[in-house]
Amino acid sequence: MKYVATFYTHVSAMMSQRSLAAKGIRAKLAPTPRELSSSCGTCVRYEADDPSYSLLDSDVEQVASLDDSGYRILRQFS
Amino acid sequence: MEKKKNSFLKDYGMVILTGLVIGAAAVLLTKLGNPKNMGFCIACFLRDISGAMGFHGAAVVQYYRPEIVGLVVGSMVMALVTKEWKAQGGSSPFTRFVLGALVMIGALVFLGCPLRMVIRIGGGDLNAVVGLLGFIVGIVIGTIPLRKGFTLNRAYKQSKLEGLAFPIALVVFFIVSVATVLLKSSTEGPGSMRAPILVSLIVALIVGALCQRSRLCMAGGIRDAVMFKDFKLITGFVAIIVAVLVGNLIVNGGVKFSFADQPIAHSDGLFNFLGMAMVGWGSVLLGGCPLRQLILAGEGNSDSAVTLLGFICGAAISHNFGLASSAAGIGAGPVAIVMVVGFIILAIVSVCNMKKGA
Repeated sequence: MKYVATFYTHVSAMMSQRSLAAKGIRAKLAPTPRELSSSCGTCVRYEADDPSYSLLDSDVEQVASLDDSGYRILRQFS
Repeated sequence: MEKKKNSFLKDYGMVILTGLVIGAAAVLLTKLGNPKNMGFCIACFLRDISGAMGFHGAAVVQYYRPEIVGLVVGSMVMALVTKEWKAQGGSSPFTRFVLGALVMIGALVFLGCPLRMVIRIGGGDLNAVVGLLGFIVGIVIGTIPLRKGFTLNRAYKQSKLEGLAFPIALVVFFIVSVATVLLKSSTEGPGSMRAPILVSLIVALIVGALCQRSRLCMAGGIRDAVMFKDFKLITGFVAIIVAVLVGNLIVNGGVKFSFADQPIAHSDGLFNFLGMAMVGWGSVLLGGCPLRQLILAGEGNSDSAVTLLGFICGAAISHNFGLASSAAGIGAGPVAIVMVVGFIILAIVSVCNMKKGA
């Protein structure tokens, strides 16, 4: 499954990408898609069996899944 | 194939549309009275507002520009309608204030924000191409700390009033500017050149709403291209140049490409370059160019509101201490020293805000 996680800060996205990659999950940094946010921060796009919340940095804002029908928000963090 | 086309339109359509509208609006507002190659300039207009409030004494650049009010309120209304309005703040406000002041000082050395730089390029001003080179170099420098863990730390949810306070203050003073003679108002110079208030306001409302939808950002476009090879935002940048160029051809019957004798511009290449390098570096650290800060402030971001106050204060510093350029050249004040100090401050902010272990 493809996932997109957005963050409150750029560095938080960077650290999440690294901890995902360290577990062998394909993850890359990208600009946050407009559909998910009006902010212009950095997101992490990754492919995994599950959303892998525990690997994401604490400044994660939301996690969405992505398929042919588009983004579906799975979880909002505050 | 059909699907691919749709997604191109979806991805790029809004940004390109916004760029074209901004370019056309800039040409229109200039035709209707705004200073040449300054249909829209966030730095110049905030500087004019700073002057209108009496924060600086440069009599030729004092006017409470309705465009600024329109951009913020347009973004706010659009964000409220689409339920994206969110009061948030608390991400290193004072550092943002300082960065804002530095960005403005750099912009006034060049004579324009990144948006006016693009509009100047579309108007044939080759000095702005030198500025663009500086801007790109500044952004590339700014992405280095970003890659090494630079952060101003996250913003948190705030009260509705905190998010609304800046737009409200902006509108209140706008009403004061229209209804009374309390604010200063230039009778000559760029500050006296103005499109009709209502036209400026309506055009800016539309542009503000479009910018909220498209997230158009001059600094973000180059940053995304450099960091992610993502060219979405930069297409807006190109669209503005195209629209201004075509608009000038239609309205003025031609565009003269030159370094000399361009409107409200000087040909000191070194300082054009350095001024925009400061703007680029500062904008990347701030997460957006001056235009983008207006849009974010409209969306309820009080960090951006503080950044805007930094711009306004920076404009006052520039004019009070002779740092702002004019058509005659760079200012009579200690421009070189302040630029050096400014770059040192940018370096200190960049290095001291790198998160440990990142």
